[in-house]
Amino acid sequence: MNLKLLAALLFFGVASITAQEEPLSDLSFLDRTEFKVGYTGNILWNNGLQVGAEYLLLEKIKVKQRKKGPKSIIHQLLLDGNLGVSTNFSSRTDTGVFTNFGVMWRRTNPKGKQLSIGINPLGYYRSFLPETYEVDGNDVNKVFLPGRGYYAPALSIGLGRDRKGKVISGRYFNLNLRLRTPYNTGTLPAISLQYGIRFNFTKKR
Amino acid sequence: MEKINAKIVEGMIVLLIVFTFSSCSQDSDLDNLSDTVYLRHKDADMPAYIYGNGSEKLFLITLHGGPGGLGLGFRNDMFKGRIEKECAVVYFDQRGSGMSQGSYTEDGISIDIMAEDVLALVKVLKKKYGDDSRFFLLGHSWGGTLGSAALLKDQNDFLGWIELDGAHNASGIYLEYIANFERVANEQIALENSVDYWESVKDLVQSADNNEYNDDDFMKLNREAFEAENKLRDDGLITREEDYSDIAFDYNIFTAFWNTGVIQAIERRVFEDVDYTDQLSEITIPSLILWGKYDMVVPTTFAQEAFDNIGSTSKKLVIFEESGHSPNVTEPELFASEVIQFMNEHK
Repeated sequence: MNLKLLAALLFFGVASITAQEEPLSDLSFLDRTEFKVGYTGNILWNNGLQVGAEYLLLEKIKVKQRKKGPKSIIHQLLLDGNLGVSTNFSSRTDTGVFTNFGVMWRRTNPKGKQLSIGINPLGYYRSFLPETYEVDGNDVNKVFLPGRGYYAPALSIGLGRDRKGKVISGRYFNLNLRLRTPYNTGTLPAISLQYGIRFNFTKKR
Repeated sequence: MEKINAKIVEGMIVLLIVFTFSSCSQDSDLDNLSDTVYLRHKDADMPAYIYGNGSEKLFLITLHGGPGGLGLGFRNDMFKGRIEKECAVVYFDQRGSGMSQGSYTEDGISIDIMAEDVLALVKVLKKKYGDDSRFFLLGHSWGGTLGSAALLKDQNDFLGWIELDGAHNASGIYLEYIANFERVANEQIALENSVDYWESVKDLVQSADNNEYNDDDFMKLNREAFEAENKLRDDGLITREEDYSDIAFDYNIFTAFWNTGVIQAIERRVFEDVDYTDQLSEITIPSLILWGKYDMVVPTTFAQEAFDNIGSTSKKLVIFEESGHSPNVTEPELFASEVIQFMNEHK
């Protein structure tokens, strides 16, 4: 079900915005791209760092007339990619590197407050374990770079703040759900918080 | 821009190096071991946390309860302050528990495979610390089932077996719950302790199927067993001084809880039919059987059963008068004394 539903959601999401999109073709790649860096983890047992990039695919600006003047609300569809690393510094049994890619919908109100929902279905998590020995019958061998790879899609919902025209162009705070599968006999859900800044290389203030 | 890009890349590389190196084991100091070693066996990666004095290469391997318990759940102040001074203690997260990971189907979880995991762990410890390493095995509750299974496969590497309120006869627990609840309820009512509660327990027992195993009833009775121990504690029969381990930061609790839920659902099916009583005579290594007098989870009947059936000529039964299912927590000093004395006698 899930892939079909996801594809349908993405299609209709993109189609509905495309219908009213403003031309972005004049903008360069860097104008349309914001980079981000921040904390990822659940504070108590798993902490790490995450970097990423958001590429503006589509943008729709709705202008509403109000007594105090026009009010514009920006809807954006972005390509989202992340790379991160996290660990449990206490036990070293929860160390891993992850990456994921997908799309993000973001709404920005006139005050610059943002709400975003991201679906990153293309994800990979590689755990890194401490010293590991593999036993096969009577053979015992030390494992080189021990750990396991997992398919790791992610879903996030977040709040943010836009800082128009600044090098540090915004802040974000996301609640993120990342799955790891196959994990033991099933799928491990992992919830984390993400807090960080977005920045770009074109705005100089 | 290039400078910023370069700094970001540089930062990531440094972090990766730090994480990679932090994932490697520290050099072992045998007098004061603090190692985490993973066992990879049959599609599972399972951590063994090794602490204590390894100068004599004497290891006490602990098997947690559950299924789905936590290896480091044993490591309270008593273990740290007394037992780890005498030997190295191996706290093992079993397949599907704690911070174990891997990729296998539900068929990849069975007592047979998990018993092989225990024997594989011994091979890893020998590889890391030397073939002259010596081992004792301790199993609590479900760990008693697993330990018995492992020893019945191969006991040659073990100097001794410590069964702590162990479920060597898991299939017998259900009917014994009914008999034990009835007996304890009558005793407590006669003593006028928590009379209303024990009357409600009698009602619960009477509503259970008392002819054959019933999964729903088993779960109700099992939950009630823990509650009953709380009542016995409230009434002063089980000591209130408890020595719990501090594992607040050692486990990602989300991961551990998820693992526990999954493994318990799978293992309950496996667990309910197991009875090693008739095979205990094949366990011939020195054995120490430790039990809480007020154990409502694995009733004390099984302590005598283990003692009577284990085939060793050197065996001892100790009943902890002020304990329930976990004497290591409620009477830690007596527990430590018995374990250390047993290991010293047979090492």
